[in-house]
Amino acid sequence: MAGIVWERDFDVALEKGKKTGKPVFQDFWFDD
Amino acid sequence: MNTGPYSDEKVHRFLEERFIPVRSECFWDNPTPLMEKYAIKWTPTFLVHDPGGNEHHRFVGYVPVDDLFAQLGLGVGKIFYDTDRLEEAVRQFQTVIERHPGAGATPEAVFLRGVAEYKHTNDAKALRRAYDALTAHYPQSEWARRAAPYSAIPL
Repeated sequence: MAGIVWERDFDVALEKGKKTGKPVFQDFWFDD
Repeated sequence: MNTGPYSDEKVHRFLEERFIPVRSECFWDNPTPLMEKYAIKWTPTFLVHDPGGNEHHRFVGYVPVDDLFAQLGLGVGKIFYDTDRLEEAVRQFQTVIERHPGAGATPEAVFLRGVAEYKHTNDAKALRRAYDALTAHYPQSEWARRAAPYSAIPL
């Protein structure tokens, strides 16, 4: 399975949301 | 990266088809502007924004697949509800209720379904039905207690 392709830039994600009408799902994570 | 519920193919497909998924890394010794903007104090914290970037729903901590679907569905319903798209909100909350009856977020969906239907139709019986559903199926939930005032509404 390829896995989820996560956007890394929040502003880019919002732009994509505006273009597609999709909501933005944001995961705040900590890489320990 | 794609562990836990993210390793589930249905989650993968649902997130990519229905949302723009974005990951924002946290650094506790040097909080990022996004951490400060959204007051992130623990990870993972999940936010659902409308396409304009307004936050409508958040939850903290990893959840199993069924709970994750319910949280995502609830988040979409709240976007509709908060933006007065009440008919769509009712449908969305109903979808969460039907597809994820055992999920932790579902009692809130029952409550908000009643409120959205009431606001849409001006029929207070929707609130009473929410109370009845919550006391029948989720009697221990906080949402059942929040709906208690609606018990006086006649059907």
